Parts: sequence; structure tokens; C-alpha cells
Amino acid sequence: MKTKRELTDILGFVAEYATYQLGSGVHTSRVVRNARRIGEALGVDVRLSSFQKSTILTVLDSETGEAETRVVAIPALPISFERNSDLSALSWDALDEALPLDEIRRRYRALVEKPRMDPIFTLLVVGLANASFCRLFGGDWTAVGIVFTATLVGFAVKQRMTAHGINHFLVFVASAFVASLCATAALRFDCTAEIALATSPLFLVPGVPLINGVIDIVEGHVLIGVSRLVNAMLLVVCIAVGLSATLLMVKDSLL
Amino acid sequence: METFWKTIAAYNAATWPVQLGLTLVAVVLLYGLYRRPTPAVRVAMKLFMAFLNFWIAGVYYMVYCRPREYHGMLALFWAIMGGIWIYDLCVKHASLERTGRHNAFAPLLLAMPLLYPLCSLALGREFPMMTMPVMPCSVAVFTIGLMLAFSERVNIVLVLFLCHWALIGLSKVYFFGIPEDYLLACSTVPALYIFFREYVRSNAERPTKPSGRVLDVLLIVVCFLVGIFFTFTLLHQFNLFSDI
Repeated sequence: MKTKRELTDILGFVAEYATYQLGSGVHTSRVVRNARRIGEALGVDVRLSSFQKSTILTVLDSETGEAETRVVAIPALPISFERNSDLSALSWDALDEALPLDEIRRRYRALVEKPRMDPIFTLLVVGLANASFCRLFGGDWTAVGIVFTATLVGFAVKQRMTAHGINHFLVFVASAFVASLCATAALRFDCTAEIALATSPLFLVPGVPLINGVIDIVEGHVLIGVSRLVNAMLLVVCIAVGLSATLLMVKDSLL
Repeated sequence: METFWKTIAAYNAATWPVQLGLTLVAVVLLYGLYRRPTPAVRVAMKLFMAFLNFWIAGVYYMVYCRPREYHGMLALFWAIMGGIWIYDLCVKHASLERTGRHNAFAPLLLAMPLLYPLCSLALGREFPMMTMPVMPCSVAVFTIGLMLAFSERVNIVLVLFLCHWALIGLSKVYFFGIPEDYLLACSTVPALYIFFREYVRSNAERPTKPSGRVLDVLLIVVCFLVGIFFTFTLLHQFNLFSDI
């Protein structure tokens, strides 16, 4: 049997745990499973219903029938598959080892405070990945080099604008525009310029929201699934706007 | 290729007095930054850099390079860099105070705009069909020198814009046979490594991964690959010369 205070404590932790995952790119049913598993380890039943910006959580003590409900905002966090995997593993540890709340909280803190990827490392790796896209789509080595540096510029713009808290739709438009503008350098050379231009903003494609949206809809979380897809589609439109601005300027040769 | 040099000749013939004036202003401001880096001098240098970038965008590309294809895109590229200098001025990002580092390399880069015309003359070109101090590549290499000598915290977006420009310069050597652009390319590869390394070190207190050492190795590998590309273009250039 849980006291009111214990229930509130558990609800507070599960709310933080679940919204952290929802904010960092985990699809809804996985978050529900993880949160319920944590609840099971602590002897309560967790019910969760999620929307794009907030989540409604209820923690129910099945022995006494006492319940606590809270509406929690979902924070916007960087996507980290490693962290998501760690947090899922934490829910299994909690269940298998019958961990008390304090221990689960301590391990959770340790996991979320683990070092993140260095922004310069991310920048270089994203540049290499996008240059590889260019090569995969048939770009020659000059185009690959230009896409690499164009991606570095576009992604640096995205990082700086995001750090300044600018609206993410504007960030996507500006980054796509700058990356494709830099890629237009390829037009001056005898190389596969069209491929360089087309692949330069690919690093912005919101793959995780698109995949999560589809998984959510398939698994019955239609509302959040559609919200995620609409959000992802808007980001794709923003990329198209940024790229179109560049294409309009070089329309004589491309459109 | 012919259009390329004709536009340069038209630009030089019409603007050489202004180029001379801008070079003198740059020398005076540099002297001020080295000797008496007052806030007024630092603001003046930022305004001067913004003006130089807008000059390249507006006068060089939009007026004299109009016959070249895609001159508008290049003008926009330089206008954005001019905008970044204005932004830097408004938010007081780069302090332009002497860092005391790179005391040999940075002055060499700062003097590079004067080496460009000498390099052209050495290659047998004649005025006005030659590279001059106020042209895109010489301004780019000057900017890199300025940031190495005077910026504790570099604007990484501006650095990457210049890196992009320099690597295009390498492609220009390969496709158009303009060996003067080796000056920019030569200076950019080590400068790029230094900028990134210092940027990583300035954020060393933040717990991130991979470690600073791994990042250092990665940066060296990337610069090494760029260096290989550079060598390849150099060899290609030699072939071009032998064909001629």
C-alpha cells in the first residue's frame, strides 16, 4: 500500500522519465511500455496518454484504488539513441532487480548526465554522412567535396540558430538555404552539380519524427502519430522552401 | 576562363585607386590593433571587414563580374559574410583583442593580400589582368589571418564559410588553372585545424564525447585528407603546365 506522498513521488519520477524519452525521439508505445515497467517495479499501475506537446499520466495504487494524475509538458531535447536505449534498459533493471525509487532515480540522473556528443564531432560526422549521400546518388568527387563543406556551413548555421533559441521552422529554412547556396558552387565546375545541389540539404530531413509518426499510427497512438507526421512534413516543407529560394536564383540553368 | 580574367582586368582597371585606399586603411587598422587596440579601433576593424565583404559582393561580383555565370550567388555568399561581421559587431561576439598566439603564421596570412599581386607578376601576368589585394581570395585569407591573430572566440559559421570558399579555390585550381589560389588553400588547411582545435579546447570544460584527444586526431585526419586533395590538384596543375 502506498501513501499519498509515495504516489506523488513515483508520479513525479515517472512523469520526468516518460517525457524525457518522448522529447528525445522515442515512439509512444515504447515510452508507455517503459513507464509501465517502472510502475510495475514500484508496485503501481501507470497509465499514460500522450500528445505532441504534453502527456497525461496517472499512477494508480491497485491495492487502495488511490490515483494521482498529472499533465506534464514534453521538453524539446536532442535525439540520442544511446540515451533512449539506456533508459529502456533502466526500466528492465528496475523490474529485474526490484530497485527502490531512490536507486532508480539515482541511476536515471547518472544516465541523463552522461556526456553528449561534441558539437564539432557531430558537425564533421554529419558533413561526411551528407557527402556520402552525394556519392551514393551518383555525385562525382568534386561534388562530394562541395557537399561536404556546404553541409558543414549549413549544419553550423543550424547549430548556432538552435543555440540562440530561434524557431525551428526558421532554422530549417535558413539552413537549407545556406547549404544549397554553398552547393551552387558546383554549378561553376564541370561536375555533377545537380546531385550536389539536391543532396546538400539532406542532413535536415527529419527521419526520426517521420519514422516515429508512422510507428505511432500503426500501434494505435493515432493522435500523436499524426501530430508527429504533420510536424515532420512542415519541416520537409521548410527544407523545400530553403532549397527553392536557391533554385529560383539559379533558375535559368535548372528550372 | 577568358571571361574570368577579362572581368578581373575590368575590375582592377576601374578600382585600383580604391583598392589602394582600402589596403592602406587595412594597414592602419592592423597597426592600431597591434599597438593600441582600443574599442574604437576594434569596432572600426569590424566595420571595415563588413564593408570589404559588401564591396566584394556589390562591386566585384554584381558590377564587374556580371558577365560570369552565377555571379549573383557568389555576391549573396559574400553579402552573408558581411552580414555576419555586422552581427558580430552587434552582439560583441569576437573581441578582436590580441591572442598572442600564432605570431608567425597570422602575420604571414595578414600579409598575403600583398603577396597575391607579386605571385601573379611572378607567373608572368600583367596589370590589370592579375590578382590584386582587394579580391575575394585575398580578402578571405586576410580574414583568416585576422581571426587567428585577434579572436579569442572565433565565429565558427564565418570560419566555415571561409573554409568552403577556400576549398572551392582548390577546385578552381583544378578546373581553371589559377595557381594563385594555392596561397589561400595552403593557408586554410592549417588555419582550419587551428580554429577547430581551439574551438574544441575552449569548450573543454563541458562534458562531451569523444575526448579532446580523439577529436584532435579526427581533425588531423580530415585536414590530412584535404591536404591529399590539395597535392592531387597540385600534380594536376603540373600536368596542365606541361600540356601548355
